[in-house]
Amino acid sequence: MLSSWTFYISTLVVYFGVDLLSGISLNLQYGYAGVINFGYIVFQAAGAYAAAVVTLGPSGGAGSFQKYIFGANLPFPLPLLVATAAGAILAGFVGLFSLRRIRRDYQAAVLLIVSLIAIQVVQADIPLFNGSNGLTGVPRPLVNVLPLSLQGYQWAYAGWVLLLCALVYLLVRWLSRSPWGRALRAMRDQEDAAVAIGLNVTALRLQVFVIGGAIAGLSGGLLVEFIGAWSPDAWGYAETFVIFTAIFVGGVRNYRGVLLGVLLVPIIFLQLPQFLPPIGYPGLVQSLEWVIIGVLWMLCLLLRPSGLLPERRAKALPDLSGRVA
Amino acid sequence: MLSTLVSAIAFGVVLASIIAIAAMGFTLQFGLTNVFNLSFGSVMTIGAFAGYLAEVNGINAWYGLGVGGVAGAVVTLVLGRGLFRLYARRGAKLFEMMMVTLGLGLAINYGIQAISRNNVYQFTVLQAAPLHLGPVTITPTQAILAGIGLAIFVSLEALLRLSRIGKALRAMAAEPALARSCGIRTGQVVIITWVISGFLCGMAGVVYIINSQSVGYATGELFLPLVIAAAILGGAGSPAGAAAAALLMGIVTEVVSAYGGPQYSTVAGFGILVLVLLCRPASVLGGQAREMRLTL
Repeated sequence: MLSSWTFYISTLVVYFGVDLLSGISLNLQYGYAGVINFGYIVFQAAGAYAAAVVTLGPSGGAGSFQKYIFGANLPFPLPLLVATAAGAILAGFVGLFSLRRIRRDYQAAVLLIVSLIAIQVVQADIPLFNGSNGLTGVPRPLVNVLPLSLQGYQWAYAGWVLLLCALVYLLVRWLSRSPWGRALRAMRDQEDAAVAIGLNVTALRLQVFVIGGAIAGLSGGLLVEFIGAWSPDAWGYAETFVIFTAIFVGGVRNYRGVLLGVLLVPIIFLQLPQFLPPIGYPGLVQSLEWVIIGVLWMLCLLLRPSGLLPERRAKALPDLSGRVA
Repeated sequence: MLSTLVSAIAFGVVLASIIAIAAMGFTLQFGLTNVFNLSFGSVMTIGAFAGYLAEVNGINAWYGLGVGGVAGAVVTLVLGRGLFRLYARRGAKLFEMMMVTLGLGLAINYGIQAISRNNVYQFTVLQAAPLHLGPVTITPTQAILAGIGLAIFVSLEALLRLSRIGKALRAMAAEPALARSCGIRTGQVVIITWVISGFLCGMAGVVYIINSQSVGYATGELFLPLVIAAAILGGAGSPAGAAAAALLMGIVTEVVSAYGGPQYSTVAGFGILVLVLLCRPASVLGGQAREMRLTL
């Protein structure tokens, strides 16, 4: 009993770390730069698939039951680097056509559409990543090398994920406090003024999009090496909105808020039903969870648009942008 | 080879009429109220299920089109007058409103998933022997759907061009403040917009499932990218533009599907949207957005 609890908790810590990376990435893009990445989960998926195919070995070997492109057998830290690069490259490619100076609502809609279409492409094109069935059997890194029990390995992996979280957090905090970060906020708050003082807003957007994509790819790589499988079921367009809801609840633009939100929404809220008595037919609870995520999202926008822990603003002129509420 | 092309174009016209019905509703709503309604696909699914339930309960499927339309109109009106206006009063701008519709779409989609037990239901009505028109083999149902699309396009254009209501709608879309000061009852016009666009939306859902012969919770959501692409390509607020864009997209999608395999048809639709963003920035430029306000 006790060991199953520690197994469960250590798994949750890994999920928490992965979601925290997602929260940091979205907070950098949305909170600091004002870029709405409604296709976030696609970049996480890109990282996960990339890490999976470079760990699984060549496709089509003896006894192979799954098809994929570019199989390889890279040693431990390399798949994560490949995953990070995959997220960044895909983000660069998508950003090139979606981040031009078009209306923000169109931009967000385009990224949502990217998310909806990417999944259809992966499902339909089976030789790419084994279609709807997805990839399984991804080995855990160094599992045969480290002298650890299953429990010990779980905690070691959780610690590894949290370490990477901390490093990414320090990097992003440093970036957002740098002149580059101030340029991002200038672009977010007053785009025309930012253009007028000579900032290249299209390039800034693309940079922040690629950095966010790299973090997304890393989170996907970490996740797939832990759970060992990845399929289109894991990256429905709605997964992006769990993270968005988390940062809305906690507080956009504030990393402590992101931490709180990620703890509240994907971890506590989405895990809670496992401890409640089951209701209805199997699958009902999952559907209702999504309904509640949607409602929570709308309530956040209505009641507390800046979240539980708002951004601490520098003392400056009052906000004159004409917000009525 | 030529016959493949001709029949692909014929199927493209059928698909286009389905896209066009939804896209005309979307563009009318967006052009007039400026709400970029990402819950449009969810309301389509509501319409589709209303049509399905009507058929199950013994109502002729063609009347089901009307049932779906009415369901879509009622839901859209309630959302527009109730929910969206609530947010607008609390200071939501264009962008916040889009986020609201997204959360709403999520809630509706998965609500339907919960109610429908995540099943896909067969909707195999109105099957008849296929017609052979030269090289093209098409079912009578498909021919009728294409006819319905055309009829709706003509009547919507007639409404907008010839009637007083249409004139008021066009005036509101162009310049709400001026329209109001000219004595147009803007509140009524907005209500009419929600009703018409909602009716088209719900009806498009039923048309879609008549053609695809199945209905599930994701019906509208999978279709939404094509609808939005057609509306953006055609220019916001222009039903004629949306219809022309839908025709282009329908034909391209089916031709690509015929030659390259069905898995590339969605990619083709997506490719068109990307091309629009790259080549037609005039209809999507950033500058206009600041001028626009929500009209609710």
